[in-house]
Amino acid sequence: MSRLDRRYAWLGVLLIAPTVLIFCMVIVYPLVSAIYLSLFSIFTPTLTGHWVGFANYADLVGSHEFWRSLFNTALWTVLTLVLQIALGIAMALMLHQNMVFRSLARSLILFPYFVSTVVAVLVWRWLFNDLYGILNHLMLWAGMFSAPIDWLGTMPNALASIVLVGAWKYFPFVVIAVLARLQSIPEQLYEAATIDGAGAWSRFTDVTLPQLREVLLVVVLLRAIWDFKEFDLIYLLTGGGPVIATQTLPRMVYKAAFGLNQMGRAAAVAVSMMLVMLAFMVVYLRIASRREREGRA
Amino acid sequence: MGGIVFSRVRKAFGSFVAVKDLDLEIGAGEFVSLLGPSGCGKTTTLRMLAGLEFPTAGTIAIGGRVVNDVAPGKRNVAMVFQSYALYPHMTVGENIAYPLRKQGVARAEREARVRAVAETLQLGALLDRRPKQLSGGQQQRVALGRALVREPAAFLLDEPLSNLDAKLRAHMRAELIELHRRVGKTFVYVTHDQLEAMTMSDRIAVMHEGVLQQFAPPRVIYDQPANLTVAGFIGSPAMNVMDAELVAAAGGAVAANGLLRAPLAAPGGGAGGARTIRLGVRPEDVLLGAGPLSGRIRVVEPTGHETIVAFEAAGASFVARAAADFSGAPGETVPFDLRSARLHVFDGATGGRLELSGAGPISAA
Ligand SMILES: Nc1ncnc2c1ncn2[C@@H]1O[C@H](COP(=O)(O)OP(=O)(O)OP(=O)(O)O)[C@@H](O)[C@H]1O
Ligand SMILES: [Mg+2]
Repeated sequence: MSRLDRRYAWLGVLLIAPTVLIFCMVIVYPLVSAIYLSLFSIFTPTLTGHWVGFANYADLVGSHEFWRSLFNTALWTVLTLVLQIALGIAMALMLHQNMVFRSLARSLILFPYFVSTVVAVLVWRWLFNDLYGILNHLMLWAGMFSAPIDWLGTMPNALASIVLVGAWKYFPFVVIAVLARLQSIPEQLYEAATIDGAGAWSRFTDVTLPQLREVLLVVVLLRAIWDFKEFDLIYLLTGGGPVIATQTLPRMVYKAAFGLNQMGRAAAVAVSMMLVMLAFMVVYLRIASRREREGRA
Repeated sequence: MGGIVFSRVRKAFGSFVAVKDLDLEIGAGEFVSLLGPSGCGKTTTLRMLAGLEFPTAGTIAIGGRVVNDVAPGKRNVAMVFQSYALYPHMTVGENIAYPLRKQGVARAEREARVRAVAETLQLGALLDRRPKQLSGGQQQRVALGRALVREPAAFLLDEPLSNLDAKLRAHMRAELIELHRRVGKTFVYVTHDQLEAMTMSDRIAVMHEGVLQQFAPPRVIYDQPANLTVAGFIGSPAMNVMDAELVAAAGGAVAANGLLRAPLAAPGGGAGGARTIRLGVRPEDVLLGAGPLSGRIRVVEPTGHETIVAFEAAGASFVARAAADFSGAPGETVPFDLRSARLHVFDGATGGRLELSGAGPISAA
């Protein structure tokens, strides 16, 4: 190695050092300490405890609450995700058309995404309220039911409610991503398909959808991760109730850490959650790298 | 089958009229080029034919059937786009098979027809590739294949060669001519390249600012341009044009200006009254080296097989095609002559062609 080469090598190390440092501080340290904490039994207020090894995990495996929460998390993620994607694509297709007030509609559609979760949930709770909520009022008035419905306090209404509000809150993200991609699909592909005899539905399935595949893959992955760890929306809307019927894993972490003051157990739940998300990640990377190899050269 | 008729077709975008009252009758099996400068309405005309754009007025008929209200997919025409518009996520084979799939052709027949087309266009080895893995020329052929496989009544091509390099373009030109001869279908070919139009077409429709200027075989377009616009657009270097006065003389008329006197005659006799005209002569009909006229050389451009000479005479600029061994130099005076039989005469006011031709040697003014 010449002197210049060596100097460049050092410069390289110097340049990536800040990134590595920050990465260690904000990702590696919390991760390692979470795993470390999960091996202790800790009393939250004093943060004192003793080593228990894998007892917290063994506990979880045998706990009905854990499995129920995991199931709830998966159910909520899948349902709200499907709804978000469907709604998002439909809305993006609509906003892609030439229509009056298009740019206004495009900005308005972002509203749910930008409004603070607390505010949004408060509004929805008010709409859902069984005594004075507008939803019940309208349904009673229309004669759909004879008595008010308890939207948040009974099952399966509570699950349906969080799924709906979740989809409403996050579908604008899908709209933005899909709309951006739609606008980059060359118009001539549609014209070629039209001349080749494709109707509106064929043009959608043969031209639009294949072009959306890449972006949908990313959107589904991101939204799946974010929905999987969603906390505030569910916590504020149903608190995980009735009982634990809508309790998801993040809610369980919170309950263990600050309700039951079992920080070690909470850490164990969090680490388990991370393992599940890691599985997502691996699947995603598999798909991504396979597509890379599949001659997109 | 496959004849195309435009009747008083007009297309307006808002207040801007892109195509003005177009009347055009294309015979079945004919290769017709729409030729004209950028923005003259060629693509708009083709897109109306394909059904991608709707005429503001007038009717379009394909194979004797008015298609104004027929969906693009039902017009039995195939189109090749300038950008090729291949479906990026489909293989070459799937791309070519797509129109058949949409027509509900059975799988076995589909595959057979794709194979046949692939053979014709030498795409056999590429059927499993995706468009991104092909060169421009190969993509071009796939786009042609997708059009061919349908066996449509007419092929519509919008500047299909403009994304290719010069050599490949010459090659594809020859292939297209060959293809047209083999399939014998109607081709409507949009181009702004006169070389393409001249070499490939049975007839050329020259357009300018939305108006059809002339519709005739290439030779006629070149030898008898209908007006100054066509005369100026076709031919490179462009035709030399000078002002002149037409005056009556014994046995016909004489065109005269500060440079020359040229006797003219109308085929039917009688050259009309005196008026202002424009006199045109193509660069290859300007003969340098001898003659009654003289000019001063400005620029000499040897191209290898010929020499392009720009010179001035009586205040007017001329361009001549001279032999490769032309030996004049800028600043020198050179005698020249014009082939009187190949003079073009246009009306000074309207620019329209006048049926007059040279009737004797040219003399100096
Ligand atoms: N959708 C449209 N809206 C408004 N004006 C249009 C539209 N499409 C075409 N034009 C106008 O119509 C005229 C003719 O356009 P066209 O595309 O037919 O030209 P062209 O002859 O194909 O030119 P080029 O050689 O550049 O492709 C142009 O002035 C163009 O600006
Ligand atoms: Mg064009």
